[in-house]
Amino acid sequence: MLVLALIGLGTSLGSFAQTVFKGKVVSDKGEAIPHATVWLADAKGKVADEQGRFELSEHPNGSKLKISAVGFETLLADWPAGKIEETFVLPQSTADLETVVVTGNFQPESAKNSVYQVRSIDQTVILNRAPQNIQQVLNTELGIRFNQDNATGGSNMELLGMSGQNIKILIDGVPMVGRQGTSNEINVNQIDINQIERIEIVEGPMSVVYGADALAGVINIITKTGSWEKLSLQAKIQEETVGSEYSPFSGEGTHMRTVSGTYGLGKWNFGAGFSQNNFGGWQGEETGREKEWLPKDQNFFNLKAGYTGQDFSLIYQTDYLNEDIYTAGPETRLEMIDHNFITNRWMHRLNGQWDLSSKFSLNGQGAFTDYKRDTETWVINVRTGERYPSQAPGAQSRIEYTGFSWRMMGMWKISPKLNLQPGLDINLEEGSGERITENEGIQDYAAFVSAEWRPIESIQIKPGLRKAYNSAYEAPDLLPSLNTKFGLGEKLDLRLAYAQGFRAPSIRELYFNFFDASHSITGNPDLKAETSHSVNGSLDWKSEIRSGWKVGAVLGAFYNDVDNKIAYGQDPDDIQVTTLFNIENYKTAGFTLNHTQSYKNWNGNLGVSYIGRYNQLSEEAQEVEEMSWTPELNANLTYLVQPWKTTFVLYYKLTGSLPGYQTITDSEGNPSAQEVQIDGYQWMDLSLRKEFKHGISVNAGVRNLFDVKQVSSTAGGETHGGGSSRPVGYGRSYFLGIQYQFNQ
Amino acid sequence: MKQLRILSMAACAVGFGLLASCSDDPDPVVVPPNESGFVEVDGGGATYPNSVFVSLRSGKQTAVARGNWDLAFSTGSDFKVLINGTTGAMASATSKTDINAVGAAEIAAAEASGELIMSFTNLQGILHVDDAANPLSKPVVAAVSATDATNVVYLLSRGASGVEAKPWKKIRVIRKGEGYTLQHANADATTFSSLDITKDKDDSFVYVSFESGIVDVEPAKTEWDIQWTAGTASTPYPDAVNGTLAYFYQDLVYHNIYGGVSTVQVMEADIAYEDFMAEDAAGLTFDSSNRLAIGSSWRLGGGPTSQPAVKEDRYYIVKDSDANVYKVRFLSLTKDGERGKPSFEYELVDAGK
Repeated sequence: MLVLALIGLGTSLGSFAQTVFKGKVVSDKGEAIPHATVWLADAKGKVADEQGRFELSEHPNGSKLKISAVGFETLLADWPAGKIEETFVLPQSTADLETVVVTGNFQPESAKNSVYQVRSIDQTVILNRAPQNIQQVLNTELGIRFNQDNATGGSNMELLGMSGQNIKILIDGVPMVGRQGTSNEINVNQIDINQIERIEIVEGPMSVVYGADALAGVINIITKTGSWEKLSLQAKIQEETVGSEYSPFSGEGTHMRTVSGTYGLGKWNFGAGFSQNNFGGWQGEETGREKEWLPKDQNFFNLKAGYTGQDFSLIYQTDYLNEDIYTAGPETRLEMIDHNFITNRWMHRLNGQWDLSSKFSLNGQGAFTDYKRDTETWVINVRTGERYPSQAPGAQSRIEYTGFSWRMMGMWKISPKLNLQPGLDINLEEGSGERITENEGIQDYAAFVSAEWRPIESIQIKPGLRKAYNSAYEAPDLLPSLNTKFGLGEKLDLRLAYAQGFRAPSIRELYFNFFDASHSITGNPDLKAETSHSVNGSLDWKSEIRSGWKVGAVLGAFYNDVDNKIAYGQDPDDIQVTTLFNIENYKTAGFTLNHTQSYKNWNGNLGVSYIGRYNQLSEEAQEVEEMSWTPELNANLTYLVQPWKTTFVLYYKLTGSLPGYQTITDSEGNPSAQEVQIDGYQWMDLSLRKEFKHGISVNAGVRNLFDVKQVSSTAGGETHGGGSSRPVGYGRSYFLGIQYQFNQ
Repeated sequence: MKQLRILSMAACAVGFGLLASCSDDPDPVVVPPNESGFVEVDGGGATYPNSVFVSLRSGKQTAVARGNWDLAFSTGSDFKVLINGTTGAMASATSKTDINAVGAAEIAAAEASGELIMSFTNLQGILHVDDAANPLSKPVVAAVSATDATNVVYLLSRGASGVEAKPWKKIRVIRKGEGYTLQHANADATTFSSLDITKDKDDSFVYVSFESGIVDVEPAKTEWDIQWTAGTASTPYPDAVNGTLAYFYQDLVYHNIYGGVSTVQVMEADIAYEDFMAEDAAGLTFDSSNRLAIGSSWRLGGGPTSQPAVKEDRYYIVKDSDANVYKVRFLSLTKDGERGKPSFEYELVDAGK
């Protein structure tokens, strides 16, 4: 894991010593802290090994050592005179875990120091919960809701009342490409969970730094970097029931396998990984051949090579995804129609950092993604038993998106109080396929700059500005943002931010056309970007009540006002045609309160949120309230039984019912507003992880303890009859996994 | 007979090439004389271009492009005119009886209200179409009066549902003895054409196209039993007038209510298709006035989370004009995976006259 930023402590005084000085870094419990970073006065760092040991070839000779490790307070220490071996004790940080975040910053820094309020879901959580995909981690987070799309086997995410199109999904800072184009409604389940180091969630617009679609917020998925060991291998098998459906190792149930390894050779680091997820689907209330949740097979393959030099580092990664979602058509007496939705995605990423001088560094990220989604239609003749591809028009089709992005960001340390971060951002995107009209693609060029000013140690002010040009749609001319952080004493931080954000119309919204006997839908190439004004603030308090008992609380509030929201409407030239316009307004507002406690081996968290969504109908009907509010509550508890090396974790979330309005018309043709709602539900996961000798660990647990399958909705009445119920889960499921870790 | 048919299909399907040549067969319908049949409806494909009339007695099907006609004139003792529901046509009465006086004002009003557009957003659409279940009982064009002065001009949208939209027309129908005279013109024209229509008692309707005059569409009154087509029906919709929206359906099946055909739905759970005998028909109440008795009840339309499918839990008893009783069950919505090419099979359970 990468470590804290370095600050030079003085000048080297030289040394005359010949001996090797051996140091060891331990926690206040006396346990070794692996991979602690030791900075010397000349600003050159060393990394301690797995047992916390490090060596110095010369005596620091009066200047201080700076030792830091994630989760611990940074220590400034002298090497005691006359000793060649010494143990350094790092006190545990006041926060239960000193979280390191990178989103929105030039390089990793502690969450406490970031001007952004960042939620981070770290490796421990992922290890303890043994999720199949990101959704299973995020669905107990406050303010996040998933809409399961069982027709396509995907799921769409909502963040703080805003739909998935407004959330930028990044992988190591690079925008992802999905079936709607770049960063538009990315299906987060098309990412290999085994590769993920942590997930960072920033709420509020980040468009100045990340451009389009970072309107509701950013979810930055940080992948694992190469380990420090020479050779490291991991393998894991996990078996899971789907509700009560299961058969061992294939077919019904979920079957996960993964193997990965890294190898370090001098300044070079290489890695490879392969993961397989086979989900057998879930029949639910369907009968015969059909399933409510479609079977899905995923294969992930990943290769990387990295170079880390003195002032220059470069890492190349390639990720391949193959996903096959299978729908078996209903049983008929003659012809049955089955579909395969096959996704093939190649993602190439290049990440580099170059420290040109102590005052200026450059960071570059390039990515090329090729996303193909094929629809295959198969005909099965029941009477002859034949299975053959359908020849009907559109039965075999492909949608293809390619995205190229290049981001260059500089860090210019003008003075200890001021730094400047200029950047360039190029995003080129093309989309083609069934029902998408010929188009020139979307080219987006932007320049941005932000400055971080620290007039005094406790105050950080970070203004930012982005100027963009877009070939396909009208992008906001100049986007400003202002993030501030005020340290109100040791334990309390206040963050206040204002930002403008925007969401780009997707290639689909611009160019998708669909006509048949009962559909007339066209894209609108004249769409503009949705824009938003947003203010948010948070108070972050952390304290240690007494030794080993730590508490913390974060109180947050936000308000978003979206203009030019893209919505379906009638084409004025031909009202039989449905198309898209920038017509609606939208607002969200809300509060969140998160409370953490940790005492010895107990860790607990309790959070509530109350989020309001704007009702467009309130502009027409007086009886409709402007905002509809919904509560959420989550709690989690982690308990480590040290002698057994066993961790128990419980995650709980109450998702409150979601109210809204729809119009109805009485027999006289008078419209009126009717209140509707989607019911709430409760979710609980319970699991344990036990470590054995020789790098073996076992996970076991229950997901969806409350056996939730669907929630009812009173909205509906349309032909496609969304109404009645929405899928949430497939019932209570059990899992068991075994993991092997080898380090040399 | 049915067995024979299956065998012949199986023989056909020995190889893929062979199968393809089977489906290229210009007349894939095998017609076992009167006893039973298997019909692959020639609906034309995924855009549902055809209306198809099928006679169970002969196994013969007649496919007609939906856009081939505009108006159907009743040959009964009444004087009624239907618009083409199979293209989603809609009409509005004007207040005028002089066809040349109708033009810009009426067009502008109808365009502003959107009343002649088949759309989710046309909440009064149901007031501008013929009754979907029994069009002659409640046509949008009022029965043609013997008093010419009461026969107003109608503005007509020729429908754009799955067919190419054509310019609006204006029409006025008056009686001519036992027949009709149709006055018609483009909606914005200042002159009009006239066409005389004589009732032919062998047919239920005389069909007229504005371009081609009188055209052949529906087979003779007693020469067909069921019709498969896309067409206007309705759907419950809280926003719409009376909570009902005029809605265009694919895969509607009408029975020939004006030709003496009646039908009733039977659930497999009550009597299995294989077990249905002549005496079982005696206790059933046949419908002879709602042509949507079969309608779209034989299939699931599909939706965001489900595929369209034939409902396997039911079949239909059809009594033709000769009192032959058939059991009919639908097999598939598709042919080689292509929508708009459904198939069904039937067996005679009781020979009539």
